[in-house]
Amino acid sequence: MGKQLFRYSEEHKEKFLESENITFNDGSVVTSEEIWHYLTVEGPKKYPGSFEVNLYQGNRNSRDETLPTSLKTHYLGLTFSDRMEKAKDRGKSIAFIQGGQAVDPYTAADTIALRPGLVNQWNRDLVHGNDINKEFLRRKELKEKAFHDMSFEACQTGGYEHIQAGNLRVDVIAPFTVLRCSDVSYGVEAHRHGPNKNVKLINVDYPLRHQADKPWAIEYFAQNLRKLVGTLDEVTGRTTSEEDLLASIKLHNEGRRLGTELSELWWSTDVPPTNSADRASLVGLGNLDNHGDVRASLSVLKEAKKFIAERVKNGVKGHAVPDNPKRIFILGSCVGINTARSEDSGAIVVGKDDQWSHCSTLVEEEGDPFYNLAKYTLEYPYEQSIEKRAQWTIEQIKKSRADGVIFIHNWGCNTQAAVARPILDVIKREIGIPTYIQERDLHGLQHEQEQNRVNAFIEML
Amino acid sequence: MSIKTLEKVRKRLEERPEELKRAREDGRKVVGWVGYNVPEEIIHALGFIPVRIAVGGDDRLVEVGARYASSKTCVFIREIVGAFAENQDPFIQQTDFLAFDATCLQNYRAAEVIEYFFKKDVVVLGVPRNFDWDEAKQYFAHEANEFTRLLEERAEAPLDASRLAESVALYNDIRKTLKSIYVFQAAKDNVISWEEVYDLIQAGELLDKQEYLSLLQQTLAELQELQQNPVIEGDDGNSRLFISGSLIPRGDRKLIGIIKSVGGRIVGDDLWSGILPHLDLDIKEISPAGVALAYLNRTPHAALPYLDLASDKRLKKLHELLSESKAQGVIYHTLRYCDPFTFKAKETKNVLAKSGIPLLEIHTEYAGSDYEAMKTRVEAFVEMIKIKSEITEEEGVLADA
Ligand code: SF4
Ligand code: SF4
Repeated sequence: MGKQLFRYSEEHKEKFLESENITFNDGSVVTSEEIWHYLTVEGPKKYPGSFEVNLYQGNRNSRDETLPTSLKTHYLGLTFSDRMEKAKDRGKSIAFIQGGQAVDPYTAADTIALRPGLVNQWNRDLVHGNDINKEFLRRKELKEKAFHDMSFEACQTGGYEHIQAGNLRVDVIAPFTVLRCSDVSYGVEAHRHGPNKNVKLINVDYPLRHQADKPWAIEYFAQNLRKLVGTLDEVTGRTTSEEDLLASIKLHNEGRRLGTELSELWWSTDVPPTNSADRASLVGLGNLDNHGDVRASLSVLKEAKKFIAERVKNGVKGHAVPDNPKRIFILGSCVGINTARSEDSGAIVVGKDDQWSHCSTLVEEEGDPFYNLAKYTLEYPYEQSIEKRAQWTIEQIKKSRADGVIFIHNWGCNTQAAVARPILDVIKREIGIPTYIQERDLHGLQHEQEQNRVNAFIEML
Repeated sequence: MSIKTLEKVRKRLEERPEELKRAREDGRKVVGWVGYNVPEEIIHALGFIPVRIAVGGDDRLVEVGARYASSKTCVFIREIVGAFAENQDPFIQQTDFLAFDATCLQNYRAAEVIEYFFKKDVVVLGVPRNFDWDEAKQYFAHEANEFTRLLEERAEAPLDASRLAESVALYNDIRKTLKSIYVFQAAKDNVISWEEVYDLIQAGELLDKQEYLSLLQQTLAELQELQQNPVIEGDDGNSRLFISGSLIPRGDRKLIGIIKSVGGRIVGDDLWSGILPHLDLDIKEISPAGVALAYLNRTPHAALPYLDLASDKRLKKLHELLSESKAQGVIYHTLRYCDPFTFKAKETKNVLAKSGIPLLEIHTEYAGSDYEAMKTRVEAFVEMIKIKSEITEEEGVLADA
């Protein structure tokens, strides 16, 4: 039986063509006409999985076609792998980083920073014509290789399966380590026994315990950042100056400022102006790191503000958002719930601490940029003590007017799992809203059982 | 043949909780420490009584701990958390406050969870991951000073340099004596087993340090009397095994018992609950930073990543200890969700294979359900080593002929 496929409808074409072009880091421009062509002709052929109607994977048979930002982020996602390949052909340097960190120092050092999910995506989309199940099987097979070389209890393998067991052209493994994740530093270390000796390794060491209140911890992290930039420079052959870092901070601050404004605008109304997935992508755009191209993200982000403001003003509800949805706030690393199915069950995701944590504050622009960036990083709300992190989360829950909270973590994610209960405990104690903990199956497809629990929770709300 | 002092040590351990209770009634404070780089001399020099909180082997406590710290936390930490939840452990009951370090992130999370749920006063020492960088050492020196400041606050007195020097001297003597004792267990016609030495090392985590030193010295004197010149020989007819990997704390003797039951002889370890933390600790400067840095400069714990395989100190030390103990195979023990050690199992196996040393990974938890399966694997490994050494011996005979 053939798979049902989603297609963008011609009726929205004209409106979409009125939207702006996307400008990329290298100065190249893609017009809205070209984007439309890609989304309707080339994309569906290359990546049928992305157009497959499969609610289990969060793919509906319809999308928010009147929101150009939604189409553009889809476009940036679909072209991501090809763009990375082209960037490599041009000699651009690419780094593997950790989720939940900002990328200012990498941008300053003219390096594309990709968190684990993006490295997976780059590799996945090197193969064309796969449906969702084939993609899943391929990913699983690759992961097995990493498990075999490390540990089957690993959640995070530091991209080993692609960069050592495979041949993805990543130049340097350089994540902020121990920031939210214990596995990643062991993943970085595992590269030392891999066959790809050309890949450079550095752990950017994130100190713990009241780190933001300790000047020596900030100084230490600033030195780590200096060494990081030095390592990135060894790959590119250039010399990154403090001015370059300051310029990058300013650029990223612009993204963070816009991302924050957009989130607050989104929260300001009772009628959600987008669905959960499109809301999340606004935060991703704010961090400028979601699509392997900082400028492209910024150009889509700037334009998004106009569309969201218009919807908020006119009380336009996002596509597929149920009436009076139950508002859910998600906590935890690297995973989320199936938003499409949850929307069908009457809910909407109004926020997530991951990603938002480093988008919602700005880096000081006066003074030593390394020190300022270090201070900002050690202040990530997500990385604070239980009480402090919970207090910040409560503020976000209140701002987003969430009715319930789900803490979700991957199987094998010790670091987040360990604090799930105490954090929810504080939230319950302080604001008394319903909460629960969900564990994601080991690299599984999104399972029925998980959705049943989410649905039961939504019903209870 | 039995070493009389060991009996004394066992007795003193039984009496210890009551003794701690009395000491507290007299105004002394007990500090429970958990971790891998906690500079115990500083705690001791401030007049506190340090006890190491390291318990294992109780599956029920693991389940209790999981309710607070999730079922994805390593078995050891789950049990620790469970033990705090139940508060039945006689040593935990006597702690006034706790000192943790952040060497392993799971250990750090335990500090947070215990602080939150059980309202324990917790002091945490930050530990750098890039431990071999000068910048990391500076950071750690600051952390050591901060750690000391927090302890001084609790002691309501400053740290006295001469007291610290005394504590360092005492601990140095303990370490030196332990090392001398350790040689005996690996020797031919040994009069003390590795298991006995292991228990003796762990007794030191709880006993009064001065008394412990004297007990060690008595043990050593007994050993020297019984065996003047301990010689370590590789071909003594045993399957000489070395234990590596995740720690094996008090209360957990499953794997050790299995090895013994199938006729394997343990002759060495690099466990963080065994001899390793007592080795290569060279305190060059009598100050909090000096002591702490000496801790960091030992063989690094597996939770601290090191990015160059060729110069890895942990693997170097493993080789050194294997050759000293003339071990023929390694049992690499990994606890469920202990990432620092499980991630390295395969790599360690490959590295040792180059030196012709076989490694068997035993991945386990505190439940008894895997006992038989473990036993079968260990038995086969012990057998394989025996056969291997018999073949080598035969080859030797043929070559001599
Ligand atoms: S889910 Fe947890 S273990 Fe996995 S990558 Fe994210 S933070 Fe790390
Ligand atoms: S090293 Fe292993 S056993 Fe020790 S605390 Fe860390 S994860 Fe647990």
